[in-house]
Amino acid sequence: MLLFMLLNVCTVGGSYFTQIELNMMTKSSDVVKNDIKNNLNPFNIFKTHKTSPLTLGLYSWNFGGGVQSYFLFLKFLVILNFVSFLLIGGFVLIPSIVFNSLGEPPKLESSGNCTIYEPNPQGLVVFYEYFLHLLSGTGFIEYSYMFYGYYDNTVVEDSSFSYNIPVAYLSTAVFYFAFCEYLLISRMGKATRVAVTTGGSDVSNYSLIVFTGWDFGCLGGKATKLKQRNIYYRLQVDLEEERLKKHAASLTMCKKVTLYSLRVLSFFVALGLVAAACYSIFEATKFSQDNSDKEGILGLIYEYLPSIVITAGNFLVPLLCDQLALLEKYSPSSTVIVALLRAVILRLASLCILLFTLWDQITCKGNQNDDECNECHYNYQEYPCWETRVGQEMYKLTLFDLLVNIALLVLVEFPRRMVVDNTSCKLSQWVGRQEFVVPSNVLGLVYGQTVVWTGALFCPLLPLLNTAKFVILFYCKKITLFYNCRPALRTFRSTSSSFFFLAVLLFGWIIALVVMIYSVAVMHPSQACGPFRSFDNMWQIVPNSTYYLPDVTKEFIFFIGSQAFSVPLSALSCVVMCYVIALASIHGRSVVMLKAQLKLVCLSFFFIYNQMFNSFSCLMQPICYP
Amino acid sequence: MGNKQTIFTDEQLDAYQDCTFFTRKEILRLHSRYHELAPHLVPMDYTNEPDCKLPLALIVDMPELKENPFRNRIVESFSEDGMGNLSFNEFVDMFSVLSEMAPRELKAIYAFKIYDFNVDNYLCKEDLEKTLNRLTKEELTPEEVELVCEKTIEEADLDGDNKLSYADFENMISRAPDFLSTFHIRI
Repeated sequence: MLLFMLLNVCTVGGSYFTQIELNMMTKSSDVVKNDIKNNLNPFNIFKTHKTSPLTLGLYSWNFGGGVQSYFLFLKFLVILNFVSFLLIGGFVLIPSIVFNSLGEPPKLESSGNCTIYEPNPQGLVVFYEYFLHLLSGTGFIEYSYMFYGYYDNTVVEDSSFSYNIPVAYLSTAVFYFAFCEYLLISRMGKATRVAVTTGGSDVSNYSLIVFTGWDFGCLGGKATKLKQRNIYYRLQVDLEEERLKKHAASLTMCKKVTLYSLRVLSFFVALGLVAAACYSIFEATKFSQDNSDKEGILGLIYEYLPSIVITAGNFLVPLLCDQLALLEKYSPSSTVIVALLRAVILRLASLCILLFTLWDQITCKGNQNDDECNECHYNYQEYPCWETRVGQEMYKLTLFDLLVNIALLVLVEFPRRMVVDNTSCKLSQWVGRQEFVVPSNVLGLVYGQTVVWTGALFCPLLPLLNTAKFVILFYCKKITLFYNCRPALRTFRSTSSSFFFLAVLLFGWIIALVVMIYSVAVMHPSQACGPFRSFDNMWQIVPNSTYYLPDVTKEFIFFIGSQAFSVPLSALSCVVMCYVIALASIHGRSVVMLKAQLKLVCLSFFFIYNQMFNSFSCLMQPICYP
Repeated sequence: MGNKQTIFTDEQLDAYQDCTFFTRKEILRLHSRYHELAPHLVPMDYTNEPDCKLPLALIVDMPELKENPFRNRIVESFSEDGMGNLSFNEFVDMFSVLSEMAPRELKAIYAFKIYDFNVDNYLCKEDLEKTLNRLTKEELTPEEVELVCEKTIEEADLDGDNKLSYADFENMISRAPDFLSTFHIRI
């Protein structure tokens, strides 16, 4: 029909979204729960590229788009960790196991200046100590494939086959980082594309809420009421922003000055809180490292002291900052952004302080001429195998994170729901059921992943542990969402925030990269353990192993590393970058122009359409019957 | 598959399949739903095209529509007389447009009709106020309703006549990423 041809002109923008949309279906709650049991599996993504729309739609329908983005993010991280483990397993773990079983198991030196390392405790070990050792990464786990110290500098050379474990270890670590970066950047690209094509959420907020806010598939009185309240709150948020803007515009000079000075003051107070948290982590780490030889439950608590302090800080400081936010009187969306930024800075800073404290202890504050670090270039007395120690800290952080999440689920969320549902006193009704707060949960995931990236060089099996941890977390959060949480009345805007969370993850990756580069290029590897025990730094293995290559390859590799190649390469990449930036700005401008053109075309065509619409109302029946 | 059904002739079923987004099975299922609403009114045999219309009150009692605040408008938009009395053809039409297979353009046309309460082919302020009240169950204060309606018209009105024509509506809908999934009733 002519009408449809006319209409098709104006739906150019519409076709973008069919890929992104998830069909939301509605069913009764029993069918819903059955579908959850059958379909919700993080590894389903291997079978179909698109995860089951029904189940993700359920999250979105019940709890808002933000929750859906959290579970998608979690699935992405599970896959990332699993594939990383396959990489590490294939190139480092399995060859090590094969060579150890075929040849001799790795031996520890028992004499020499810096080469004595005794990870296994002497004498009989009480049976429950195995459990304590499992939790703290010491004892039987310390000298095993879990940590760096067990891997040997095996070089197998046969007539037809040669394998160099140290080179494999280093190249796998480098490739692992490169692979994670590639996945991150490609996902960020997708998120940016979505954000750009939807044109940002500010542009037509009210009209979109009014005309597309209602879900026609909503079934049941409860869901309808919930949806109505949800729309009400969304409108309230926007109205609140308007009110605040008007109020801010009407402030007198004096009031403005007071407000801004309050904001500056609260900024410094927040900074002070973060600094206080960092200082307490520093002290706790030092205390833990100094008392690392205690046994039993007390020893375990001392081992976990940094993790406990970090978790406590990550819980308390945002609470206090929320109180500060009441003074600052930002608009609701700005408040959320500021709170998120503060939480991010706190989490990453606490990890950095932990790493800094460890570095401080291991390298005697970087001073090689200090008494303790003179002989072996690192504090040999305290850290005969320092890489394993760092790996153990990351291992403990990961485990503690998982244990805290499970403990919260069992000890706080289930009882809260029991109390709220079964008692009818005013206090319990006021407290209400748990709400699933998306930002802090996502930040927890980002933090966990950063810890794994930092520790992967020192604890090769950490990605596998993290995969298992995230799978367990997935099911725990799913259970808590559907049984304990009430649907959030204020939903979280997911399109722009998914980009933000990926950006924070990228920043965590950069921190881990800095740690890796420093450990590989500057720090002296332990002489008592590990595949790099005879080198001055880990990177040295690469030039050494090129000596065995044929001449042509050697010359080619040296040429690539030399200045004659790298300077023209960086000049070329600058040129390419300028070109890409220019291209991006041109595309941006053409998008704006096309949008304006689209409006004009729409107007002119629909002027005609409106005339037809009014005069020939029978043409509105596009479906004909015999 | 030779279904031994006697409700429709084969030609009728083929025609329905061509003109709507449903398969034969779904059309027969729709007929049974239609029949359930008023078993004494709706004949089982449609081969000679009986002229049977069900009133609005019966249609909006369906579980899919019962809680929908726009149920009356939905049914009225698909009825020929504008009063909400649906024949079977119009009934199928309604669910076909609201199904997941209907294209965006078609859904936008009917969404516009649904929100146009006074049926003047424009979404004026009164239409918006009624829409808003149904969306939020009348919990917004009159000033807030006024403000939201103003903002909505401001955002979407392209030709500056202080009401939304179909062109304005369609242009605004094209920017909504989840319109297709929200404007969907499954039956």
